[in-house]
Amino acid sequence: MTDTSTDDEREQVSVPSEIEFPRLLDFYDLQTADQTQIHEFYDNLRAGQFTTTRCTECDAIHFPPRIVCPECTGDALEYVDLPHDGELFAFSAVRGGLPLGLREHEVPYVVGVVDLGPVQLSGRIDDAAYSDLEIGDPVSLKIVDIDGPTDDDRVFYRFEPQ
Amino acid sequence: MTRNVAIVGGGQANWGERDATWKDLAQEGGKATFDAVPGVDPDDIEGLFVGAVQPERFANQTHVAPMVAELLGIEVDEMIARTELACASGQAALRYAWLAIAAGQLDVAMVLGVEKMNLGREHMPEVQSSMANVLDREFDGANGLAAPPFFAWYAQRHMHEFGTTREQLSLVAAKNKTNASRTDFAQFQSTVDPDEVTDSPEIAPPLHLYDCSGITDGAAGAILMSEAKAREVTDTAAWITGSGQSTMAGNSINNLPSFSGWPQARKASQNAYDQAGIDDPLAEIDVAEVHDCFSISEIIEYEELGFAERGEGGQFIEDGRSHLDGDVAVNPRGGLLGCGHPLGATGVSQALEITQQFQGDVTNDRQVDDATTGLIHNLSGSGSVHSVMVLDRDPQ
Repeated sequence: MTDTSTDDEREQVSVPSEIEFPRLLDFYDLQTADQTQIHEFYDNLRAGQFTTTRCTECDAIHFPPRIVCPECTGDALEYVDLPHDGELFAFSAVRGGLPLGLREHEVPYVVGVVDLGPVQLSGRIDDAAYSDLEIGDPVSLKIVDIDGPTDDDRVFYRFEPQ
Repeated sequence: MTRNVAIVGGGQANWGERDATWKDLAQEGGKATFDAVPGVDPDDIEGLFVGAVQPERFANQTHVAPMVAELLGIEVDEMIARTELACASGQAALRYAWLAIAAGQLDVAMVLGVEKMNLGREHMPEVQSSMANVLDREFDGANGLAAPPFFAWYAQRHMHEFGTTREQLSLVAAKNKTNASRTDFAQFQSTVDPDEVTDSPEIAPPLHLYDCSGITDGAAGAILMSEAKAREVTDTAAWITGSGQSTMAGNSINNLPSFSGWPQARKASQNAYDQAGIDDPLAEIDVAEVHDCFSISEIIEYEELGFAERGEGGQFIEDGRSHLDGDVAVNPRGGLLGCGHPLGATGVSQALEITQQFQGDVTNDRQVDDATTGLIHNLSGSGSVHSVMVLDRDPQ
């Protein structure tokens, strides 16, 4: 094929080389009443209390919190306190390969399954190395503030050895 | 089911870190499929099912099934859809094609699984961002919980509860990677011994690099037909005699039934065995392509699919019972550990391996002696779904 044009004759079309980190790629959800119907979970967490939903019709405890009971499809749910202390049921370490949005986090860190009694959930275990931990170790909930690409005050939970 | 359905053949693009786009891979997989099945061309295809997990994240492209139809010159008159069930998307596509043919809606269907995952090392955080979405992003993904630490928990708990050893994990990975050295399209083609697995870098303890399947670009296609049509193109096919799936209504961490086993796999396989009339899976199944996304997965699957007693999966590999010449040849193709794991293509490729084992058409000396009954198994996401399909050299 014969090239009949040269670079300096061509019109240039631009695309941005950088963008701000988009809120929609942020791992932490928006937490307020205008965004999510489980805002009470986050309101309670912001006030220092770890809670989840309980169905007032069939007594099922859910985690994550729900707005419809998956056991009986009732929607009369109330928030109840969960323990802040539990046991490490399983754990491993994240050594790298973090996704966009979490890549600035320091590695390695420990991520595990924590048994709180009524519920069992995933969580990061702060202030501990993988080699320091054993199955059954006692851990406690800690609440962290999220500084991210939104002006909202956001919180999340992690765990640390007792 | 009302009508017998056969997988008559198909083909794969080369898998690995490919200098190719999603569309390139779809075309290669499509061509390989039509080349492998003489007597079937795009004009014969009535239904098209495309297994693809995250094309909108990996290739910024959605509505991919009609794109495949256009690329391969397939004019669909009956059914077309993409299936997404994370790592089981390929098997989900096979399942819908099977049901559509069994129900009499179609006579000839094509299933194509495609995934483009390698976007260059500098874009790995974007790829990992997609992988973390497979779990509940709000409560589990936010902890940076991608696949390796999640499956590491299962390894840790299986070791803790049953005494499974690091060496037994390495034996699984060495078997599958060595099998893949005889598979032309596989991503990893080097033989590996167990010590090399144990000595490979730690990724998510107790799992090491060679305990993990790869990040893979690839495509695999298969042609499914009603019995009357199948008899026109081949003497030997893989007949779908049973299929089961189970979720047990759990997806996020609190709602999973176990961290050392998968009762969902037990239930899904039992349903499939009941349909297929299998009473003793270890005695009756000759060849199995199971979802070894990590070495520990295969050990648990020996147990849940009924090849070994609960807790005895480690001993099962130590005794060599899943080797090519063992009681059941598990992952003769090389599994996900050896072939790589282009998510949407994996289940299709597993089914092709069983088909080719029946047809005596397996290259490079990985043929299982007189294989007549096989299965494919996939887990997906947090292991929340298990999918099992039983294949037989003869229709029921």
